[in-house]
Amino acid sequence: MKRVLYLPAAYLAVTLIFSFTSCVSDSSQKKEKSVEAAAGQKVNEKAMEDFNKSKLIFYSLPSPLETAMLIKRAGATYDEDLLNPLNNIDKYNTNIKKALNLGIYSADLSYSSLFDQTQSSVKYMANAKKLADGLGILNAIDENTIKKLENNMNNRDVVLDIISETFMNSNAYLSEENRPVMAVSVLIGGWIEGLYIATKLTNGSLTNNKKLIERIVYQKLSLYTVLNLLESFKGNQDADYLRKRMDDLKVIFDQVKIKNTSKVEASTDKKNKVTTIKAESEVDISPEVFDKLLKKVEEIRTEFIS
Amino acid sequence: MFKILRLSGLFVLFALFSVSSEAQCFSFAKGVCKSTMGGYVYDGNYNATILNEGETAEIYKTFFKGQAYRVSVCKADSLPDVYFKIIDGENEVLFDSETEQTNTWDFEMESTQQLIVQLRVLEKNPSSRIKISGCVAVMFGIKNR
Repeated sequence: MKRVLYLPAAYLAVTLIFSFTSCVSDSSQKKEKSVEAAAGQKVNEKAMEDFNKSKLIFYSLPSPLETAMLIKRAGATYDEDLLNPLNNIDKYNTNIKKALNLGIYSADLSYSSLFDQTQSSVKYMANAKKLADGLGILNAIDENTIKKLENNMNNRDVVLDIISETFMNSNAYLSEENRPVMAVSVLIGGWIEGLYIATKLTNGSLTNNKKLIERIVYQKLSLYTVLNLLESFKGNQDADYLRKRMDDLKVIFDQVKIKNTSKVEASTDKKNKVTTIKAESEVDISPEVFDKLLKKVEEIRTEFIS
Repeated sequence: MFKILRLSGLFVLFALFSVSSEAQCFSFAKGVCKSTMGGYVYDGNYNATILNEGETAEIYKTFFKGQAYRVSVCKADSLPDVYFKIIDGENEVLFDSETEQTNTWDFEMESTQQLIVQLRVLEKNPSSRIKISGCVAVMFGIKNR
């Protein structure tokens, strides 16, 4: 494990190529100065030193599991009709469709598992496996994973652990095999599916479940994360396609207001050893904008699963 | 010609090395870091990479109201200490692992906020040309309740 490296220019060049396109998964990464360094013909020692001290930036989207937990915690219910039908899987013949729907089926799997829908969970895990296999992701989900899921269906902690691990396996594999756009596509598929389920569960009302509405409104922050993730891959056909669809969402989310009206503070209850982070904030979304958002999310999700 | 071959050889060597290092990073994150989640559900996002001494990194993540989170940072034994801070959008420090002397932080959100986890790998000897590198992983856990 222990390695001491001397960093000659050749290593720098190779590291640039590999570290820029691999490593992080659910979050993408951007090495500041890497573009200049990669394009530059001459790399001197000072530049190398600067490079080594440069800042890596990652963006982390809510995972399908976190999104499902957010939906459940908001008091929402389970509706199987909202899931991507299992037999749609035969339609997914391109890598981008496989990746998006791996994310979508992972979100459906997380949602059904959190609501203890045993049979659905096993079926969605099987579909996720097929898509992971189709993407050439080795051993992300194997037969043992599905058996383990079946055998532990009454133990939610184990089920959630299996789901998070399979998601990690897929994401890490795609990232480390230099397929970051596919890794990002899985994330975006999962995120859109979570947003779709949440918006549909509101039944179009801004007042039925305010907690859920707030979760949806704050996805504006997640959308910026998505846009930042895609920014690193400009010029890639799949990333450009996703960027265009996310820009459509941005037009709507730009009309949603989120503002902190006080400082963010962390306070610790020494007795209970619990730290709480709080701030006063205001959010505002009009019925018209909410309606537009619902329709746009449904349109994008329909396109992804078709 | 010989020079080109030698350079190509170097390239392949370093390429293989990089890929193998990344694979080790995944094993490290999965095998070692995941266990730091304790009673929290690991969110499944893979945030791990090879960092060098002296390097810094930032992770932007939205934390949601009503949820309890654990942030855990772990590093390969070969690396010097890695400290992390959690800061808000105004650059205010909410947590500093150097001050608290822990690589795990649990907290609850009373309002949804996008926060930044800032990582810093210390340098054993800043003037040295020999730099140690190793895997650093950041794990996010959520309390299931």
